[in-house]
Amino acid sequence: MRSLKAAAAAGLVLALLTGCTREGGRVDMGPTGGVPVEGGTATMALPPNATPNWIFPIGPPGYGASYNAGIQFLLFMPVYDAVLDKDKGGLTTHGPSTLGLKPTYSDGNKTVTVPLRKGVQWSDGKPVTARDLEFWFNLLKANKANWGSYSVGTMPDNVKRFETLDDHTVRLRLTRAYNPDWFTANQLTLMRALPQHAWGAQADGGPVGDFDRTKKGAKAVFTRLTRHAKSLGSYGSDPLWKTVNGPWKLAGWRDSGQVTIVPNEKFTGPRSQRPHLDKVVFKPFTTADSEYNVLRSGGVDYGYIPPSVMAQKGKFEDKGYRVDPWEGWAATYIVYNFNSTHAGPLMRQLYIRRAMQHLVDQKAMSDVIWQGSATPTLGPVPVTPKSQYLSKAMERDRYPFSVAKAKSLLTSHGWRVDDGTARCERPGTGADECGAGIEENDPLELTLLSQSGSTETTNMMQELKSSLSKAGIDLTVRQQPLNSVLGNSVPCTAKDPGCDWDMSFFGTAGSWYYPLNPSGEQLFSTGASANFGNYSDKKADRIIRAVQYSPDMKAVHEYGEYLADQLPVMWMPNPAYQVSVIRNDLRGIEQNPTVTFAPQDWYYVKKKGADK
Amino acid sequence: MTTTTAPHTAPGHEEAAQATPSLARRTLQVFTGNKLALTGVVLLALLLAFSYLGPLLYDTEQTHTDLSQANLSPGTEGHLLGTTDLGYDMVGRLMVAGQTSLEIGLAAGLLATLFGTVYGAVSGYFGGWVDAAMMRITDAALAIPAMFLLVVVAAIITPSKGVLILIIAAVAWLSPARLVRGEALSLRNREYVQAMRMMGGGGARAVFKHIVPNAIGTVIVNCTFQIADAILYVSYLAFLGLSIPPPSADWGSMLSAGITYTQNGYWWLIFPPGIAIVLVVAAFNFIGDGLRDAFEVRLRK
Repeated sequence: MRSLKAAAAAGLVLALLTGCTREGGRVDMGPTGGVPVEGGTATMALPPNATPNWIFPIGPPGYGASYNAGIQFLLFMPVYDAVLDKDKGGLTTHGPSTLGLKPTYSDGNKTVTVPLRKGVQWSDGKPVTARDLEFWFNLLKANKANWGSYSVGTMPDNVKRFETLDDHTVRLRLTRAYNPDWFTANQLTLMRALPQHAWGAQADGGPVGDFDRTKKGAKAVFTRLTRHAKSLGSYGSDPLWKTVNGPWKLAGWRDSGQVTIVPNEKFTGPRSQRPHLDKVVFKPFTTADSEYNVLRSGGVDYGYIPPSVMAQKGKFEDKGYRVDPWEGWAATYIVYNFNSTHAGPLMRQLYIRRAMQHLVDQKAMSDVIWQGSATPTLGPVPVTPKSQYLSKAMERDRYPFSVAKAKSLLTSHGWRVDDGTARCERPGTGADECGAGIEENDPLELTLLSQSGSTETTNMMQELKSSLSKAGIDLTVRQQPLNSVLGNSVPCTAKDPGCDWDMSFFGTAGSWYYPLNPSGEQLFSTGASANFGNYSDKKADRIIRAVQYSPDMKAVHEYGEYLADQLPVMWMPNPAYQVSVIRNDLRGIEQNPTVTFAPQDWYYVKKKGADK
Repeated sequence: MTTTTAPHTAPGHEEAAQATPSLARRTLQVFTGNKLALTGVVLLALLLAFSYLGPLLYDTEQTHTDLSQANLSPGTEGHLLGTTDLGYDMVGRLMVAGQTSLEIGLAAGLLATLFGTVYGAVSGYFGGWVDAAMMRITDAALAIPAMFLLVVVAAIITPSKGVLILIIAAVAWLSPARLVRGEALSLRNREYVQAMRMMGGGGARAVFKHIVPNAIGTVIVNCTFQIADAILYVSYLAFLGLSIPPPSADWGSMLSAGITYTQNGYWWLIFPPGIAIVLVVAAFNFIGDGLRDAFEVRLRK
């Protein structure tokens, strides 16, 4: 007994001398390195109100959230995906985690050939073949209206013929020539390989066959799969979802949205994709506050904190966590309503938009309000992380913060500031006049609908109102819940009753997350579905089309530079997708800007002075 | 005719009218003898002076933000209580915010009391089906949580000072209505009311010349509590993000913004507005307690 006490005392002294933490050791700070150990469980916190609710890789409208796709990709290897290029840096479309190898374009970019990785099998031992891609395409073509990612003219409408060349090669004959980069990044990444041999039945208990090759059969197969996918509580036990080819398989999927995955022991993909951990749990939270409390009590290994807590980075590091903002592949902006009943003529003046952009102090907002967790948006193409889509010219801030420049732009176009509000003194359409539709003595007054519920957004809008007022622009900010803002900021014409909004902001978590190629056909083309502000510019339409159809990268650079200059929206600081807080002995986490995750790369490391 | 036009000639009122100067003096004596009530008056006077006279003596920029001066700690040169997360001087901000909180609180409290008093007096005086219908409306409105109603309405309408006054008063009038209705039920059977009716006096005269003046003690006491509650409602709403758009501020929105930085230890963003809310609510409650005691003495006498 004496010796036990002595040993315990000695152990305690040793622990104190070596500075052991309660886990039994210390680890140098960093996302990589260390001595890996196999096994362990990692719990990752999902964003507030993010509840995974769809397992079938063809998601109906409303089920296409990034966390659903992220989890699906762990069970079913994507054909192409935005993956981090570990050699060159940046993002690419294929790598060890994808089934597809480098696609080749021919016939003047009207044909694309997709080679598949050989030797990959489903968990029941059957090989993954070109037939599984054809199965996906047939289901999609017959049920495109029920697919959340469908928009007219794109996949599958732009594929004239789907050909199977051999077990591991498919060829797509396209309706016209496409830009290979755009097509691979934004269309081929939608492709999935689905286990036709397991899912190809029309009814439960019925035979599996080539039913998908007829429209009627494809509809029946799709209906059955969708019906199973709607039964969230049965995901863990439904045999349909046990046939996977990804590095992980499902261990549990609760109605609450908590998903547990374990390694797929029958995984036959690249060795580098085999998981190191025994289990990963994705935990949903209803609010950021509840997540923060659980994080502080050690209930999650990979969580997030509000940007306002960034200043406390040191405290988290002392507790054995590292803080790492997760930059999103996104653009953040305030929408201008070019058809606004009241402010349309003001919004249509480029010099006014330029003056206003000069009054957005993006750097100060990013550093002070977002505590360094946001980055300035300089145009439609994200500035960070660096990519092939960003030209040198796009990295330059065309409209640096300058009240003097803003004032000068307004006064040189006939505006005079009276009692704090700018009023048009010289109406007309001349070079030094206010512009079409603006009458003499019209005030420069605007109303902004902004989403409520975020201190950072409220502060950004206060800062914006303050800086605009310095040049005589009177901004009224109306805060509303996010859904109200989105409901009120819809495309409209000046005569519509609901077209009286001038500006709108819904970008607390980024306004728009791009697919890999940050083309703007959905945002800035005339009449596009997400062109809420009714922006219309013939040159912009032409160069946006060129991004989709022309054969080289010049088009995307021209598009980025032109729209950065033309200001179809007011560029605002782009907040991080989340400010991640990660247990420091959990390594291998590279935060993909397209907000998918790859837990097969994660591993725990041995702590100094103690085994894990 | 004089008997019907002059309430003080009614039985009961005559005595009250003759004794008014001494009763008022005695009421004042009891009130001033109550140390808590006096503390309340002094506190309120100080808060009013701080909010309205303060900006004249201590001039700060409260319209334009200054991010280069954000989150400075107390004692930093030129900023006695530090600065906010947008660089506003904290002392100056408290003054401006105090004006909003006090104005909305006072206006909403008075409006709720005024409407509630008339509603309750009419209901109690007329009785019967009028009383039943009016009180069922009150009961139904009381069954809906006030905070729920406030949040829903404030989310639909963009809050402004006038809107906040109206929506807070709209949920706060129920309590004075019920209180005054109780008083009215008792007062309507008094001899002087009966006499006035026998001499041809109408309902409106009874309510406004007899019921309301004789329930004034209850009304005034309740009014102070209504104002305190209204200031708290403003703070609740602001705390939930439903306040007047910037650059206006109130103590509730300041507290709400400060809570965001709890983990950073920015105590100066939390304690000053929090203490201001506690002080103003306590002041009105102290005054209300003092007034209640004073009126009770008068009634006993």
